[in-house]
Amino acid sequence: MKINRRRALAAGGAILSAMALPGGLRAQGKPIRIGSTLPLTGPLASLAIIHKVTAEICVENLNKRGGLLGRPVEWVLRDDQSKPELTRTLYEQLITSDNVDLIQSPYATASILAAMGVAQRYNKVLLHTSFGIPRLAKYDMQFQTAGSPFDPENVWPNHIFDAAAKLPKPPKTVAVVTSKFPSVHAISVGAREVLKKRGLTEVLHLEYEFGNRDYGAIASRVKEANPDFLWGGTNGIDPVLMLEAMKKIDYRPPAQVHLFPAPGPMLKMPEAQGSLALTTFESHAPFTDDPTIAQFVKTYAERAKEAGIPYTSVDLQSAIMYSAWQVLETAVTSTRSLDDKTIGAWLKKNEVKVLFGTLRWNGPQNYVEGADLYKVKQLQQGRWVVVHPSQWAAPGAKIT
Amino acid sequence: MKTLLAVGAAVLCAVPFVGLPAFYESFLYLLLSAIVLATSWNLLSGYSGYFSFGHGAFFGVGVYTTAALTGKLGWNFLWTLPLAALTATVLGVALGAVVFRVRALRGELFALLTLAITFVLATIALNAVDGGPGIMVNADIPKLAPTASGVLYLLMLAAAALTLWTAYAMFHSRFGTGLFAIHDDEDVAEVMGVPTYRFKLAAFAISCALAGLAGGIHAIFVSYVTVAETFSIALAVNVVLMSALGGTRHWLGPAVGAVVITILLYAFTSGNAAVAGRALTGLILIVVIVAMPAGILGQSLKYFRKESKPRSKVEEDLPRQTVKISGEPLLVVRGVAKAFKGVQALAGVDLEVRRGEILGLVGPNGSGKSTLINVVSGHYAVDGGSIRFEGGELVGKPAHRIARAGIARTYQIPRPFPQLTVLQNVALPPMFGQVVMDRAAAEREAWRWLAFTGLEAKAHRLPADLNLHERKFLELARALASRPKLLFLDEVLSGLTPSEMDGALRLIRAIRDQGATIVFVEHVMRAVMELTDRVAVLTYGKAIAEGVPAEVMRNPDVVSAYLGAAHV
Amino acid sequence: MPSATLLGQSVLSGVFIGALYGLLGLGLSLSWGMLRQVNLAHFALAFLGGYLTFQLSGRLDPFVTLALIAPLFFLAGLALHWFLTRFSVTLLNTLLVTFGITSIIEAGIQWFWTADFHRMENAYAAVRWKVGPLFVSLTDVMTLGFALALSLGVWGVLRFTDLGKAIRAMTEDAPIAAAFGVNERLLGYLVSGLAAAVAAVAGLCLALNHTLAPVQIYAWMGVVFAAVMMGGLGRPIGPLVAGIVIGVSEAITMAVTNPTWAPLVSFSLLIAILLFRPARFS
Repeated sequence: MKINRRRALAAGGAILSAMALPGGLRAQGKPIRIGSTLPLTGPLASLAIIHKVTAEICVENLNKRGGLLGRPVEWVLRDDQSKPELTRTLYEQLITSDNVDLIQSPYATASILAAMGVAQRYNKVLLHTSFGIPRLAKYDMQFQTAGSPFDPENVWPNHIFDAAAKLPKPPKTVAVVTSKFPSVHAISVGAREVLKKRGLTEVLHLEYEFGNRDYGAIASRVKEANPDFLWGGTNGIDPVLMLEAMKKIDYRPPAQVHLFPAPGPMLKMPEAQGSLALTTFESHAPFTDDPTIAQFVKTYAERAKEAGIPYTSVDLQSAIMYSAWQVLETAVTSTRSLDDKTIGAWLKKNEVKVLFGTLRWNGPQNYVEGADLYKVKQLQQGRWVVVHPSQWAAPGAKIT
Repeated sequence: MKTLLAVGAAVLCAVPFVGLPAFYESFLYLLLSAIVLATSWNLLSGYSGYFSFGHGAFFGVGVYTTAALTGKLGWNFLWTLPLAALTATVLGVALGAVVFRVRALRGELFALLTLAITFVLATIALNAVDGGPGIMVNADIPKLAPTASGVLYLLMLAAAALTLWTAYAMFHSRFGTGLFAIHDDEDVAEVMGVPTYRFKLAAFAISCALAGLAGGIHAIFVSYVTVAETFSIALAVNVVLMSALGGTRHWLGPAVGAVVITILLYAFTSGNAAVAGRALTGLILIVVIVAMPAGILGQSLKYFRKESKPRSKVEEDLPRQTVKISGEPLLVVRGVAKAFKGVQALAGVDLEVRRGEILGLVGPNGSGKSTLINVVSGHYAVDGGSIRFEGGELVGKPAHRIARAGIARTYQIPRPFPQLTVLQNVALPPMFGQVVMDRAAAEREAWRWLAFTGLEAKAHRLPADLNLHERKFLELARALASRPKLLFLDEVLSGLTPSEMDGALRLIRAIRDQGATIVFVEHVMRAVMELTDRVAVLTYGKAIAEGVPAEVMRNPDVVSAYLGAAHV
Repeated sequence: MPSATLLGQSVLSGVFIGALYGLLGLGLSLSWGMLRQVNLAHFALAFLGGYLTFQLSGRLDPFVTLALIAPLFFLAGLALHWFLTRFSVTLLNTLLVTFGITSIIEAGIQWFWTADFHRMENAYAAVRWKVGPLFVSLTDVMTLGFALALSLGVWGVLRFTDLGKAIRAMTEDAPIAAAFGVNERLLGYLVSGLAAAVAAVAGLCLALNHTLAPVQIYAWMGVVFAAVMMGGLGRPIGPLVAGIVIGVSEAITMAVTNPTWAPLVSFSLLIAILLFRPARFS
């Protein structure tokens, strides 16, 4: 990786702000208010709590380091109740009534789109963590902080099939089973194209409604199709339910991916071992080589435990929120400005090193086409470890 | 009051132009959309009692119509709004046209159907319209106000004004009165002349249209629509809660509930207390509804409602015409048959009722007297035969048309509309009678008949507050209020004390003196002999004798029919 | 064309999920049909039962837990009935009150267990048998067994015992039943307590077969309500039969065509049954 001037500057800025105020010095003045919403109640609440704990740690660290531009940071969080229309109204409240200085990401595609509309009307920079359909992001001051590509429907299936090709027995036939949850569905549609191009055979293609409860018939159909590889276009709890149903008919696919499983519940399932999934970050080296990050992983585990979150390791969800705050901090510190236009312009021209790689926004719609920071992880002996690409793989980990 | 309304409207319209933070428009938008949805739900479900669990579906149809037309086909957003309303209406009417014909599909089964429709429409929208990724709606919003939020606010304000006006107008019209009667007792409403099928269908259509319109506007507000967030059971549950909280029996009730619940939910969006806020919201709902069982508005109105004084005096005397028994047949029943699950209730009845007479209809229990009334009034369809009234065939006509032709009835066990006041009960038939009256005229008419039956003092009470004797008289007043040409009295005397009975008999004579022809079904033989001009006897679903009372009672067939059968 | 094994396995799967619908619907149907209470909180209660089973699963066998919480839930049912009758809450308002209770229980669950998914490890889940070419798992059989036993048990009690006759009389016409010496108040408490205790059983089955999250409370409402209304209010076997009809029709759809169309088929079927045979299954 080439180190250019801009990057050096950005990194330098971050270090500077970290070093500038050795203990004792406190941020002073009127706090900088940063507003955002999270779905603390409602269907998405299970993920919002992870984002909330992460953001709280970020803000705390930020203030420990002396805040932003020497001023303390105050995070104004509101609960959008998992409703996009409420997200919209709350962002309007944050911007026009609470008069926050900057805004931060809500959670999930629909809410981010709702917030994006508001941000556009008030010319606010919107960083976002979890936007599933990049082509819909048409605002020029929106920046993703998850390291996702402009074309996930092409890039992500390739990651997964690259990883699958390294399996002891590389798959030749694939069963594509996907929910109609918008973002995972789009990726699965792409996967069908990708697998054809790669010379794999699709032996089954099933779509089911998100929120499905009975996976018995689906499991039986996969069993009958007998694929080498199961493509699970699944998220949340679906993978667990699907694997349960397969266990009940004494079936286990030789290899499988589930795009975005809730990490916790799968860990202890024997049937889930060996499953692949997408991630940006896992709590192991080389990610944790940076002592700051190692410290974050430790703090997160404590706080998550306090908050009662069953799965206490930092992974995809926590990392994308952490990176959103890293980007915000770096941009403000580098521009020494709270002006959205200035920050937006800076982000377009620069790059920011975050905990899972270096983010850039110099492609179409502030994305990068064909490249991303996502990795493929595998569930091995009750633990998620990155196995692909190899420079991010856990020490000694091999895809099995 | 009017100026207050005008000022309020002006203030609401001015909101987008005075430079308030856009948040207020946005929040008011949420309030207004809740008002539209709850109120439109109430137009069908609150007024007529047809409890819809599928309001989310029709809202969703509106959302998806606008989303698909603007987002996928690039139509102008404003043009899609009428279509959003129309599509929802068409679907609602199609469903209603089938469902409202099936008498069994009331109560929870209608709720089930509308719930099922939600799932069906959601699946179709997901697979046939959306395809999976959701629809992005990038509409060019017309510049009606300085900000986009302002425009959407104004549009939803217009929708809310339209909805509330509709609710108000319906509430105060014959239409609304008919719906409330359907809510209380649909069969009786139909027999009193309410065209129940048409009314239900119209109410459903209006309810769907408004939900669809709100959906169309909402598609632009959220700008990205997905099936999971659109066709939700949660929306259906929410509108029910809002309406119940505000009060379903008033046009403004759901709006009050919508405002309270929306504010309540919004009050707990602070990030630190979200979960506690949810519990508190639940607690507040419980406390409020326990304290105000008729809903916030319903209960407040009860508290403030002044007992309006009964009229001191009836302005006009009742019309008095001396009718001669002309001998000309008014109603001719020929060979009418009706069977229930194999039991032949009517086995070819022949009967003639002559204009101006009081015809006694007697017979042992189960002989088919009540069935005959039910058949003539159109409640049951006949299996065969003909019923001619003033020369016109009644068979095959819906009950409300028969009522409109001038036939009224009372029920043996009084069936007043339990949630309408005595006055409203009596004012209903004139609104749907031979001469259609507006509400004011109908109430004037009702006061006359209340005076006639001595119920004036109870005019503003609910039927449950009346004793049996008064309820029987309410039955009478209600039947008379439409000024029927032919009146069926079904055992009006049963359960009355001898002195009450005398009063009732005087009343019936007075009714005849005003020009009505009466069929008097009774077990009390003393009354039959005293009152009737002629008597017909029914046994085993057949008329076995017809003629002057004294003669008929000597008829050997009649005697044998009554011997062994318990009679008074 | 799908193979016989696939169809058979799918039908089985549909029967088992239908049994769970029936089990969740049983209590709902009883309190709606007999007490004129539409108890939305029934779902929250069932999930609370599931969570408690989950919480104690490290120390206690799920069935021991059930033996502990079923009586507790019975008491909760009594309390609910006391509250609803004390304030003479109307049918429509029971929706509001029980929705409020649902919010409170949901918040309580989220506060104690967070909104994240929980899954109960249990020894039963590993047990399964092969019957011919088909597989049957113990937890599914337990669910079906509970559903059948409770539905048939309640039906039997209603049909054949004096207690049942009294309850049916109360359902038909409470004042007249009271005039004949039926202790209406006591029976009301009994039905309400029983309905809540059934929620505890449903909770156990949820914990055994599914994943727990507060939001799931709402996920089951639509389909279970459909089963209850389809099965006929106050009829103990109705929700089970209707639930199985929904479950099996969806499972067969999933076996023969794209699974995403499943709700269309099952709910169109419901609509068709209603229109052409409004007397339904009863």
